[in-house]
Amino acid sequence: MTPMTKPFSQTKDDSAHTTNGGLSPLEQQATRWRQPFGWLLVVITLVYAWAVFQAPLDHTQGVIQKILYVHPPLAYGAYLGFVITAIGGLLYLWRGREDCDRLAISGAEVGVLFCTLMLVTGPIWARGTWGRWWSWDPRLTVTLLLWFVYLAYLLLRSFSGPGPRTARFAAIYGVIGLVLIPLNYYVIEIFDNRSMHPDNLERGSLGDGMGWPFLLGNLCLGFAFIYLVLLRWEVEARRVFQQRQEALEEPDT
Amino acid sequence: MTSPLLRLKDIEKAYGPITALRNISLDLDHGETISLLGPNGAGKSTLLRIVAGLAAPTRGTLEIQGTAHDRRAIGYLGHATLLYPELTARENLIFAARLHGVPKPARRADQLLEEEDLSPVAQRRAGGFSRGMAQRLAIARARVHKPSLLLLDEPFTGLDVPAISRLSQRLIELRNAGQSWLLVTHEVERAAMLADTALIVLRGQVAERLTGGELTPQNLSEIYAKALDLQS
Amino acid sequence: MNIALAILWKDLVTEWRARERVIAMLLFSILTAVIFYFALPDQRPETLRTLTPGLLWTAYLFAAILGLNRSFALELENEALSGLALAPGGRGWIFLGKAAANFILLSLVQALTALAFALFYGVDFSSSALNLAAVIMLATLGICSVGTLLAAMAVRTRLREVLLPILLLPALVPVLSGAVHGTLSVMAGEGIPFSSVQLLIVIDGIYLVISFLGFEYILDE
Repeated sequence: MTPMTKPFSQTKDDSAHTTNGGLSPLEQQATRWRQPFGWLLVVITLVYAWAVFQAPLDHTQGVIQKILYVHPPLAYGAYLGFVITAIGGLLYLWRGREDCDRLAISGAEVGVLFCTLMLVTGPIWARGTWGRWWSWDPRLTVTLLLWFVYLAYLLLRSFSGPGPRTARFAAIYGVIGLVLIPLNYYVIEIFDNRSMHPDNLERGSLGDGMGWPFLLGNLCLGFAFIYLVLLRWEVEARRVFQQRQEALEEPDT
Repeated sequence: MTSPLLRLKDIEKAYGPITALRNISLDLDHGETISLLGPNGAGKSTLLRIVAGLAAPTRGTLEIQGTAHDRRAIGYLGHATLLYPELTARENLIFAARLHGVPKPARRADQLLEEEDLSPVAQRRAGGFSRGMAQRLAIARARVHKPSLLLLDEPFTGLDVPAISRLSQRLIELRNAGQSWLLVTHEVERAAMLADTALIVLRGQVAERLTGGELTPQNLSEIYAKALDLQS
Repeated sequence: MNIALAILWKDLVTEWRARERVIAMLLFSILTAVIFYFALPDQRPETLRTLTPGLLWTAYLFAAILGLNRSFALELENEALSGLALAPGGRGWIFLGKAAANFILLSLVQALTALAFALFYGVDFSSSALNLAAVIMLATLGICSVGTLLAAMAVRTRLREVLLPILLLPALVPVLSGAVHGTLSVMAGEGIPFSSVQLLIVIDGIYLVISFLGFEYILDE
């Protein structure tokens, strides 16, 4: 092997953007988009709540079936959050952009929130419909494993202190987490075929008058996800900026 | 005009919200020796680790002989010895030589043991060495690939008096042989005696610079005391 | 490549002199085998046949975590890890050297643990020893690749040794799955199932690439 010389990888931090409260251009853009999303979210949530309320009761499952309007849409958020984490982490490693690292944090935290809600609503519905809380259904299992991966991700971040090393550790672990999603599905497909989830929830299995509340659910939780990610991103940027300002004022600490 | 051995331009290093170094610029020529003097926590060690390539600067550029950073040009001795206690002195050096791609590692190891006067203990495990012996072996380790620039981080810490004078003597020998180095220390006397130029580092910045005839222990000590006063 | 070989040599010599890591791992995994006696419902052949593979791999995993942690705890003494990071060239070779040493030491422990299981539970490995070795090797490659990467990260956090299992176990679920199913078939005399081999090879490939590339980023501050 010939020894090669690697140019120094530098992190481009954004403390220079003092006039914008520490936000990078990308983060400013995100903040601008957050506002309309927030208003849209409020309107859709109201319509959605009303739609779910007036949707016909399922004659076999009863009121518990209404969890269906919440549970599947949560999945998009859960998985998308982890995709955002991996992409943000990769961009950080590749470009050294701190704002991408902050995006990765918000993806993981909001993803964990959605994942947790999914793991809570799923068993409640399963108890009412399939008769038991936990069934080791493939999707449930993969989601649970993913949940552990991202809790480990957050733990890794919180136990290695601030600084670029933590961000790099997290970025690499985020990539491993993303790779694990298809790997785990692959494992379950090979060894374990006990799926209880309906294959095509969208078509067929929903009764009359249930389709559009379901659609609204997707829309509403999708917007909620985007809004929360953007909000968390901005909060992280402002928090880091504020800490820097405080540290500047007291250089001896 | 040839480019200097080491050139730092506006180096800044932040750990999360805390800025450890700011606006560090510095040139070091071939054969030049510089000492960095400052109280604990001033950022000297951080600077040395950046030059070693063990930490990346948050901002600023670092050039070695006019090109990008090259680990082959750097020999580093930190607070710790970087030695493996289970390996003998000779094995430690052979291992380091192989890591750095030195041709004929065993011959280089023997040569270094000879130079640092460690040949009699070559087959003893490093774990049983006294602090002074371990430090001599650590210096041999840092020089294993004949680096153009030697980085020394408080090399006198923990040594007894004979070991200190021996190490000072050795550093002067190396300097006379044309070895460049950056020495980090908090002791005024040694900062003045062992280097061509002394930089006082306070709060992550270079506060004063003394070189040539003005670099005497008395001079440096007065200026250092004044700088410390100003700080507090 | 020379860097990887130098590190492999250094790790094996160090281990040979201290013998602490292999002995600790081995004692631990054999102890686990003994503990399982109290955890099993009965000693009937069917029970043992279905449960032994899972128990064997549980013992392997815990022993691996122990050894991986120690592998980098050693590098923190005298800051030797900085010494490795000072070496010129790509850091991926440092990973390969450490991972290879971990692989060899863990394989040794695994072989002896398998013997202990055979002895305690009367499982007969002799007819399927080669197949079993192949499954173990494939799975251990995956464990040691991602395990070496994560151990190098974990020991430098505030939680140190505690963090490794939390990071590593979720990442090893696919490996464990493939290994246990492979071991089940092999012990039933059915040969190595293609699905297990395929899965393990895919995972090994992915983890080796991620760890080799990822190591470039984790040694600096």
